[in-house]
Amino acid sequence: MNPRSLYVHVPFCESKCPYCAFASAVKRPGDEEAYLRSLMEEAASKSGIAEDALLTLYIGGGTPTALSPDAWHELTAIIGGTFRLAAGAEVTAEANPGTLSRGHAETWRGFVNRVSVGVQSFDDDELKFLGRAHDSGQAAEAVEMCVSAGFETSVDLMFGLPEDPRQDGRPKYRGQTLRGWAANLRRAVGLGAGHISAYQLTIEPGTPFSGLNFPKHALTDGYLPYRYAQWYLPRKGYVQYEVASFSKPGCESRHNLNYWADGEYIGLGPSAWSYVGGTRSQNARTLDEYARMTAEGKSASVYEESLPPAQAARQAAVLALRARDGIDWRSFGERHGNAMKDEIAEKLNIFPKSLLRNDSHRASLTAAGLRVANRVWEEMI
Amino acid sequence: MDRAIKIDKLKKIRNFSIIAHVDHGKSTLADRLIESTHTVEGRNMKSQLLDMLELERERGITIKLVPVRMNYEAADGEKYVLNLIDTPGHVDFNYEVSRSLAACEGAVLVVDAAQGVEAQTVANAYLAVEQNLDLVPVFNKIDLPSASPERVAREIEEVIGLDASGAILASAKDGTGVSEILERIVTDIRPPEGDPDKPLSALIFDSVYDNYRGVISYVRVVDGEIRPGKTVSFMATGEVYDVEEVGVFTPAMSPVESLGPGEVGYIVAGIKSLADASVGDTITDTRKPAASPLPGYRRVKPVVFCGYYPIEREEINALRDALEKLQINDSAITFEPESSAALGFGFRCGFLGLLHMEIAKERLYREFGVELVATAPNVVYQIKLTDGGVIEARRPSDFPSDVSKVDEVLEPYIRVTIFLPDDYVGPTMQLSQEKRGAYVSMDYIAQGRVRLVYDLPLAEFIMDFHDRLKSATRGYASLDYDHIGYRASDLVKVDILIQEEPVDAFSFICHRDAAYNRGHAVATKLKELIPRQLFEVPIQAAIGKKVIVRTNVKALRKDVLAKCYGGDVTRKRKLLEKQKEGKKRMKQVGRVSIPQEAFMAFMDVSGDDGK
Repeated sequence: MNPRSLYVHVPFCESKCPYCAFASAVKRPGDEEAYLRSLMEEAASKSGIAEDALLTLYIGGGTPTALSPDAWHELTAIIGGTFRLAAGAEVTAEANPGTLSRGHAETWRGFVNRVSVGVQSFDDDELKFLGRAHDSGQAAEAVEMCVSAGFETSVDLMFGLPEDPRQDGRPKYRGQTLRGWAANLRRAVGLGAGHISAYQLTIEPGTPFSGLNFPKHALTDGYLPYRYAQWYLPRKGYVQYEVASFSKPGCESRHNLNYWADGEYIGLGPSAWSYVGGTRSQNARTLDEYARMTAEGKSASVYEESLPPAQAARQAAVLALRARDGIDWRSFGERHGNAMKDEIAEKLNIFPKSLLRNDSHRASLTAAGLRVANRVWEEMI
Repeated sequence: MDRAIKIDKLKKIRNFSIIAHVDHGKSTLADRLIESTHTVEGRNMKSQLLDMLELERERGITIKLVPVRMNYEAADGEKYVLNLIDTPGHVDFNYEVSRSLAACEGAVLVVDAAQGVEAQTVANAYLAVEQNLDLVPVFNKIDLPSASPERVAREIEEVIGLDASGAILASAKDGTGVSEILERIVTDIRPPEGDPDKPLSALIFDSVYDNYRGVISYVRVVDGEIRPGKTVSFMATGEVYDVEEVGVFTPAMSPVESLGPGEVGYIVAGIKSLADASVGDTITDTRKPAASPLPGYRRVKPVVFCGYYPIEREEINALRDALEKLQINDSAITFEPESSAALGFGFRCGFLGLLHMEIAKERLYREFGVELVATAPNVVYQIKLTDGGVIEARRPSDFPSDVSKVDEVLEPYIRVTIFLPDDYVGPTMQLSQEKRGAYVSMDYIAQGRVRLVYDLPLAEFIMDFHDRLKSATRGYASLDYDHIGYRASDLVKVDILIQEEPVDAFSFICHRDAAYNRGHAVATKLKELIPRQLFEVPIQAAIGKKVIVRTNVKALRKDVLAKCYGGDVTRKRKLLEKQKEGKKRMKQVGRVSIPQEAFMAFMDVSGDDGK
């Protein structure tokens, strides 16, 4: 038990996007203070879990840039005061165009070295459809600023956007075309992002989008844009090192790689997950509840799950197959036992070589395999 | 009891059946007879009391026979015992009909006064005539505005050759004619003959299985007497039993001291399996046996075969248990283990016909909770080999893989008699031709009504002939058939290959000329039903090594690819598990998952001829 990754959740947004199911809310007066106070409590209570210095820190949300630069000062002080960061540790902050200011960049200097920009699209119609608070100009500006300030910069882009089913008289978004998607990728590459996360819009239960009547087929057909990204980005020097992640060599997100390697991590803040000693646990989702629990000196955790060994092994295999390097059989066998190793290797045998490479050393999905990865994992569960 | 009393008792018995085409009102009439003899109080009457089995009730047809004993005081002031022996109404169970009739001296022939003579009216009337039964013709549904008794009388006289002048005009629905029918059963049907002092001979006309008491055989005593404690022999099987109980049907089973000549009732004798108490067998006294068994016994032979496979391979033992139990209940079912490369271990099961097959499958599911995949039904082919040998092929895989070894293939034929309005003769003849039928005859049985006779390969018939006939004639046709032996045909085995591997469960036998169309239809249907897999799946139809049809299930391309970071791990797993749950009902064949429907739908598609 020695987690070397830390996730900090910032539960604030300027406005709530209609597709987003993450825990976040528009800030009320006093929220920022309450949040930082509770965070400090929780950080202090968990600092002992990490025996060695942290290798990665990820501050996500929500919208971390919804915190003012002053609040950021305090946040870094809290983390820095309770946890040790290893030399050269990867420290990522998520940022949304529109809220990201020069002030943030100044504050981050010497602490944050990687910024993940929630661009989603460089097309104004798409941004409007997605209910984003920024426009395409602000998106480009934000990326440019991060790149020129010397941060490792990642850009989030969304594909598979369906036609807007709403009939409210406004000009209607007609759905993403391959051309539109290609333009988004081109733009991200042109702006100098070293890392691109390309992912499909999914409709999450409980979000405003889940109440819209999207035609069924519109939502699942992400194949074409995905395949295009797999073709285009490698030509521009990006390697697909995970299902949804493309990076220039050396720009991989080490924090995320730890997730897929089934590594341990500590989570702080409302709704944050921790995975320590085989137990996954989640904090209370709302700021109010989170603040109340920490104020009472209790753990903020409201859900815990420890999988039985066989299920844990399958889960680990599924996670590992997300990444380019896949499953390393030797270390997998050491960690989960040879019986589970054999069971999983056997299950993977039904897939043709075009989808899955499997030899005595490792099993990993090919580019074609990544495109139908969900079905492969399904077989393993 | 002295002999004179016994003889007098015999004279007061009438054993009869009601025979009718489906839907001509047999069950309703039986209900009315039972009601008006006060055999069962009105409040206990379930409509169509005789159709006991739940399944039969749902399908509105009778399979199992439940006899009823009615006490009736006739106009002559005498008290009579009327035994109504019900008959199954479907051609699959023809043999059982003939055994039921053998237990009677007479029959009430019910004809729908509006629809007239139909195929089974003729078939059943002929069976009755063959058994030398006294017939009481009844024109039912006389209350319908479209009733036309004169026309129906003419049809009966012209088509069947029976005198219909004394036919009773009745309506089982409103009770018209019911008392006359009861009276005529007494006056027109002769009492049974039989000698109480002769050695015992009793005909088994049905047997049912009771979980607590074992086999209960329904019997008609011809000569002698049967009573508890007696040791009896079953002449066909040679088995010996001690009679535990005898009784009559009121219609609930009520024990009596003995059953004498002419009487209808049941016996319980500790028999463990229905196969040991076959319909048609003769029961006799072990110490004083009858000289010869009653005529007409034959072992029923299944004519249609198909493979039953459990959906989950581990359920093979549950399926075997269920089949064994079902066979105890229905001795006409045969089964033997077989294995299929595609489906694993299962059983090749034999049935009397398609309906019989469907009912068995349904019962396995309902009564035993076994879910299974059924392969396409097959008839039994005779394959003459060049070396003089003969193979009896009950499944496509029995065909020799080396085609050069086959000298000739013979297939069973039936003679189908169809009654229909003349408007539909064209489409019906076309359908019969298409099904490789050979025209035999056509004649007008009345104005606008035609009897059409074709000789048809049974294999074509079982596929979908009935359904296609129904749609070609808007349901106005009725049919009946007889088995007429084997004939040589140019038949080939068509294999279906999925992912280059033959899937034996989809192989079928058909005429060479139809091979392409059927292969195409099957491949197309499978393409529709097999969900896209992770890779392209070729589907081919081939005769021997020659591929005649090829199509592809395209590779799966639609999927949701989302980010997954630390917080999503648990949720993603649950999503995957849910996704997986929805796909359980697939059969894994090699690398390809084939949904259960594909195996079912295959049966429908085989007859599509590519249309």
